[in-house]
Amino acid sequence: MDRRDFLKILGITSGTMMVSSCGVDKASEKIIPYVIPPDEDVYPGNPLFLNTTCTECPANCGMQVEINEKVYHDVRSLYPTKLEGIEGHPLNEGTLCMRGQAGLFRLYSPDRIQRTMMRHDQGNFRVATWKEALTRIEEGLNRAKQDGKKNAYFSGRTTGSLSELIDRFCRNKDIERLPEFEVFSYANIKRANEMVFRRPQIPKYHIEKADFLLTIGADIFETHISPVSHSWRFARARKNENFSWYHVEPNLSLTGVQATRRLSLRPRSEMVLLTFLLQTVLEQNERKNNPGITIVRSLPNYPLDEVSSLTGISETDLRSLATSFGNAKKPLVIAGGVSTAHQLGLEVAVLTSLLQWIMAMTDELVDFSQAESYESIGTFKDVESLNEQLDQNTMGVLFISRMDPVSMLPAVFKFSRQIKKAQLTVGLSDHMNDTVRECDVILPLSHSLESWGDSQPCRGLTNVIQPAIDPQYDTRSEGDILLQLLNNESTYKNFLFEKWNKNYGDAGTKEMLKTGYRSDPVPKVMVSFNTLAVSSFVRHMEKPNFNYGVVLCLSPSIRSYDGRSRDLKLMQEIPDPLSTISYGGWISISPLTAEYFRLKDRDEVELTAQEFSLKLPVKVQKHLSDNVVMVQRDLIPVPLTAVDHRSGEASWYVPNISLQKTGVVLPVPILSGSMEENHRGILPPDDDHGHRHDDEEHPRWYPEHEHKDYRWGMAIDLESCIGCNACTAACYVENNIPLVGLKEHLNGREMSWIRIQPYYDANDNFEFVPMMCQQCDNAPCEPVCPVYASYHNPEGLNVQVYNRCVGTRYCSNNCPYKVRRFNWFDHRLVEPLDKMYNPAISVRGRGIMEKCTFCIQRIRAAKDHAKDENRLVQDGEIIPACAQTCPTEAITFGNMKDTESRVYQLAQSERAYHALEELGTEPAVNYLGKRGNNHEA
Amino acid sequence: MKINYSFDEKRKFLAKLEELVKSGIAREKINVFTPYPVHEAEELLKIKNSPLRFFTLFGALSGLLFGFFFTIWTSLDWPLIRGGKPIVSIPAYIIVAFELTILFGGVISFIGFLLLSGLPSAGKIAAPEDYGNQFVIHIENEGEK
Amino acid sequence: MKPKDMKEPEYNQRLEQDILQALKNPSPFYWVAVFTCASFFAIGLLTWLYQMLKGMGVAGINNPVGWGVYITDFVFWVGIAHSGTLISAVLFLFRAKFRNVFNRSAEAMTVFAVMTAGLYPLIHLGRSWFFYWLFPYPNQRQLWVNFQSPLIWDVFAVSTYFTISAIFWYVGMVPDVAIVRRYASGIGKKIYSILSLGWSGSKRQWRHYTRLYIFLAAFATPLVISVHSVVSWDFAMSIIPGWHTTIFAPYFVAGAIFSGTAMVLTLVIPMMKIFRLERYITVDHFDKIAKVLLFTSLIVTYSYLVEFSLAFYGGHKFEESHFLYRLLGDYRYLYWTMLFCNSLFPLTLFIRRLRRSIAFLFIMSLFVNVGMWLERFVIIVSALAKDFDPYNWGIYIPRWPEVAITLGSFGMFFMFFLIFTKVLPVLAITEIKEEAVE
Repeated sequence: MDRRDFLKILGITSGTMMVSSCGVDKASEKIIPYVIPPDEDVYPGNPLFLNTTCTECPANCGMQVEINEKVYHDVRSLYPTKLEGIEGHPLNEGTLCMRGQAGLFRLYSPDRIQRTMMRHDQGNFRVATWKEALTRIEEGLNRAKQDGKKNAYFSGRTTGSLSELIDRFCRNKDIERLPEFEVFSYANIKRANEMVFRRPQIPKYHIEKADFLLTIGADIFETHISPVSHSWRFARARKNENFSWYHVEPNLSLTGVQATRRLSLRPRSEMVLLTFLLQTVLEQNERKNNPGITIVRSLPNYPLDEVSSLTGISETDLRSLATSFGNAKKPLVIAGGVSTAHQLGLEVAVLTSLLQWIMAMTDELVDFSQAESYESIGTFKDVESLNEQLDQNTMGVLFISRMDPVSMLPAVFKFSRQIKKAQLTVGLSDHMNDTVRECDVILPLSHSLESWGDSQPCRGLTNVIQPAIDPQYDTRSEGDILLQLLNNESTYKNFLFEKWNKNYGDAGTKEMLKTGYRSDPVPKVMVSFNTLAVSSFVRHMEKPNFNYGVVLCLSPSIRSYDGRSRDLKLMQEIPDPLSTISYGGWISISPLTAEYFRLKDRDEVELTAQEFSLKLPVKVQKHLSDNVVMVQRDLIPVPLTAVDHRSGEASWYVPNISLQKTGVVLPVPILSGSMEENHRGILPPDDDHGHRHDDEEHPRWYPEHEHKDYRWGMAIDLESCIGCNACTAACYVENNIPLVGLKEHLNGREMSWIRIQPYYDANDNFEFVPMMCQQCDNAPCEPVCPVYASYHNPEGLNVQVYNRCVGTRYCSNNCPYKVRRFNWFDHRLVEPLDKMYNPAISVRGRGIMEKCTFCIQRIRAAKDHAKDENRLVQDGEIIPACAQTCPTEAITFGNMKDTESRVYQLAQSERAYHALEELGTEPAVNYLGKRGNNHEA
Repeated sequence: MKINYSFDEKRKFLAKLEELVKSGIAREKINVFTPYPVHEAEELLKIKNSPLRFFTLFGALSGLLFGFFFTIWTSLDWPLIRGGKPIVSIPAYIIVAFELTILFGGVISFIGFLLLSGLPSAGKIAAPEDYGNQFVIHIENEGEK
Repeated sequence: MKPKDMKEPEYNQRLEQDILQALKNPSPFYWVAVFTCASFFAIGLLTWLYQMLKGMGVAGINNPVGWGVYITDFVFWVGIAHSGTLISAVLFLFRAKFRNVFNRSAEAMTVFAVMTAGLYPLIHLGRSWFFYWLFPYPNQRQLWVNFQSPLIWDVFAVSTYFTISAIFWYVGMVPDVAIVRRYASGIGKKIYSILSLGWSGSKRQWRHYTRLYIFLAAFATPLVISVHSVVSWDFAMSIIPGWHTTIFAPYFVAGAIFSGTAMVLTLVIPMMKIFRLERYITVDHFDKIAKVLLFTSLIVTYSYLVEFSLAFYGGHKFEESHFLYRLLGDYRYLYWTMLFCNSLFPLTLFIRRLRRSIAFLFIMSLFVNVGMWLERFVIIVSALAKDFDPYNWGIYIPRWPEVAITLGSFGMFFMFFLIFTKVLPVLAITEIKEEAVE
């Protein structure tokens, strides 16, 4: 909308009232964001903030949208330009993961479906009007009725009011609402909890309250249920010095390398480990709840050496795990991910639930009262029934909404063929995908930033979805589509407001719109233990067999979730944190496997199994088991994987893989030159004197800088950094950093101002170091710039003046951290992605050097604000984009002159050091190294 | 101007010149033209050291002073911190002053030469006075009687 | 040297005619040569324009290697220029008479080399169209330049060097242009008359001229040392291992004289053959130049040894690993070639017979040119490719624009030199006359 309308509307709402339920104001039928102006006044040039929900993955974190007024293509209007977490939100506590940060790449994606489309008789698509499309659907439904066919509504996870509306729609039109489909359906966990606790639910895990965490395969930082939530909980837990965390997995995950100890175990052998733990606990009488004698007796009894040989974990490690577990006052076990996604995954889940019960984790840490909303999500078994229905040719109209079963389902389902068996398929989506391409009618969905709605990601929490921008294309929200199909005159927005007003009252609704969410108290759940079911299950457990040769493990990807976030161009630009590969796919193999096949990085290998074969470049991955090879699951067409009929969970493994070197070397953008740090000074010096390298140790030639009121500095806690790259994504969006593409990545010309650098430390363990401009006091880049484009400002920042830079690149040559990025070409975001440009920052042209500025635009804004109030900036008022979004609060920013500030306190820590200290650059960034040799047994 | 004496060889030229000088003709009135500088002729004619050296000295000094003055003044005019180094960093400025010493010295010497030798001379460009490989002695007022 | 039996006037006459016959009508080969060089030059310029319009990204430079072929070319050309000044100015002050058959061409080489070199700071700029910001001129923004930056020192040093070399070359040529003036006719005569400023060889003119020449030689001598030292400080003033070392100034100056002398040989030997100047440029002259070549090669070899041994003696891990990378890493073949061309092959100049073989010296000069270009390339690129933080390690492979522009620079240089040979006397006629009589 244009500014005049907006301000006019604001006059109507005037910051206090909002459109009430009695009567719709026709004049303001346009989308009205309920904005939270900072001071109840709206100043042009100041951004507005709106609280809504991130819908990039089912976690549905609370998201705050920054809306800026700017001129785009000669039109002055309001545009969302940055996304953040909502401060204090129960799920994400003001932070957002890298996919969430890249949400604007979906909103402004040039690949969005812009118009309704219908299939010709000849088979191609043609543009249609909404009226035509909806009429076609009506006709389809009528025809189905006449022919006696059934209809079905098949969607991705839906919660809240939309779910209600879909129910209403389906009842009204005689459509069967199928169980929702998610690739990550957690079927085994649900089935296990159903069996053990009579609750087919996924509980909330209060990691922050645990002093010992054991994760079995669960990639809690990457995709497992609510990764941002787990991240900040982990950060809280870590504050307790006694906290320790064991992660056990058959593959190698980002989560795993963060654990205090990571143990590689044989695929499918998790149940043996769990049995061992159960044994230990029961023997040593550490149980809190009694499972009953039957179960105790039915549990297999493996001697330690057998456990070791079956799992592949050494006896020492097993003993230390058992000891730590036993010593813990509040242990927590979470199983999931790759460990519950195989033939024995249900065993793993059941034994985990059993262990949770026995150790009374269900009292507090495993919380069913705030269970995640996964109940309506079906399993692959449900898809099988759908397939049967389709086979019988009884399907009339099939609605498929917000998911891509054709690509996501295992190949056994042959869904691309099946889908054609319905009389009429209607696809609702914002991007074209393989499923939508097979549909007869395509209805383009508005992005959640263009729509109204709500969601309930877990019990007791309701998130609001409110629009930050008018729909840019001829799209509609799903709610509006359904109401139109119901011939209801009302809009979905009114539907929502009616419901909210009814449930929460006027004030409650207003409050909810302001904060973006609503927490309602939930009754405490006391689980009851189903002894019979468990003992029967345990009795019939079989020992795992390991005849699977080399196994391919389809691993989750933090960048693409289950594949859906591949649409976001930024997710390809930022590399995968473990391998540092940005564009394209790869297969991770262990060093021994590489040696055996005489493979090195970038060599092409052909992967063959039963009925599929694939060629991928190799990446040698240390610490990966020798008989496991890993490919991120969205990188390959889903292969033949089996479905466990007990629960409906699909396996993420393909056994008996063979590898063949093809001899081709592929161009793969591996952004890291080398991960061997070799005591060069990026990681903390491992001569643990226990004292910091103070100023006394550095003789200074020149007098120190004087700073008047501010000296900006940062503290980065390497213990908290999990390598999730949220900071990188946030920085890209905040600072208009160009995306350069594959070809430039191959030339090493990526533009990220902050990046996560993975290293193997002295103990050969992974460490992630977020590296950005260190804003050195004695910056080597400053004296060498001939034109003063790089100089030191009085507040301690190394300032880069874009319009003065002539591009000699001497500054970048002289930077030992190589954080300065040169614009080799004019890279402008492809339209309409350039709508997201932050108007507070310029877009740099070719020939100009750029780098991290500590978000100087935010510093400037805060200083202006403080100046208006005649005071200095307080600690916490300025937060750079990277620090704001970091789920574990690893990055702290502030004024080093303020001895009360958090950053100053952290910089005094024993663990604090500077990167490449011996060079004497005196950076403003203090790194806090990991405590001691905590990777040893 | 009439050519008075012209020789093919340097030896003969010098002999004649010595003779002329000894014969009492004022040295200033004797002008010689040679294809290359003849050191002995200069001695005979008691040609003093060229004052070009003053131009050179002036040029070099002005270059040196300007170099330091300019660099120091511009640094102080807008004192920008670069790399923690002092605002006025003499070691760096020495290099600039050194180069400017040479530059100003050379250019001003060249200008001095042009001024002192009366070049370029429009008349001589239009009608070049060319003696080829001859060593020529010309005495003023010779032909005036 | 003048043969003893020949009389002075006869010698002078023959000298002039021998040298000036080169200025007569050019042969078709000459036109082909000039045209080829001019084409390369034109292609280079067009490529540069393309690079400016599209972005520096068309070249192969990247992160971490921000400097590559262009800076190598820059240092290479500035180095070549130094030998001309050495022969002209330094050998003059040392009264090395053999220099006078080389000095005119050498000075011409200097001027053209500095001109060529001077283009490179513009070519390698990301925003070349703002090159003038590198000069301190008064402006509305009250911005001056950063005199601490070695690149600004470059601006001053190279500008000074160009100005002084041009003046020196021109001043040296004034009496010779007067000679050409005598033989010319028509428009040519008028142009040469203007260029010779009306020179007549009077006592007044010679009096000031000789002083000026000495002073210019005295000014140019410290330039030989300072300019390439300043260029070497582009690297030595950084903190990168492999660059940050105090040996760079003498090392680069010696290397510059070394490569420049080789280029003098590359130019003068064909020139002598084509213009049939063997009478004036004798085997003895070449013998002496070859000794200069050998001497500077030994200094350069010594520098290599010092660099290497001190890296390991010092035990600084970054320095050590850098030198291992130079010797055994991605650019090892270039490094070994360089060692052969610069250190090993020139050792053969200890053999007198080889020193006096014109053909051998020509081949040697080509090898040295290649070797010295490679030396700059290896120093620049290997230091940037692997420095402190292993995450940033990368590699640099030049791309076609860099090759095209390098060839363009060679085209420009040779084009100017070829034009010079046809327009101005290639030997210092006046000085040779002067020496012949003594």
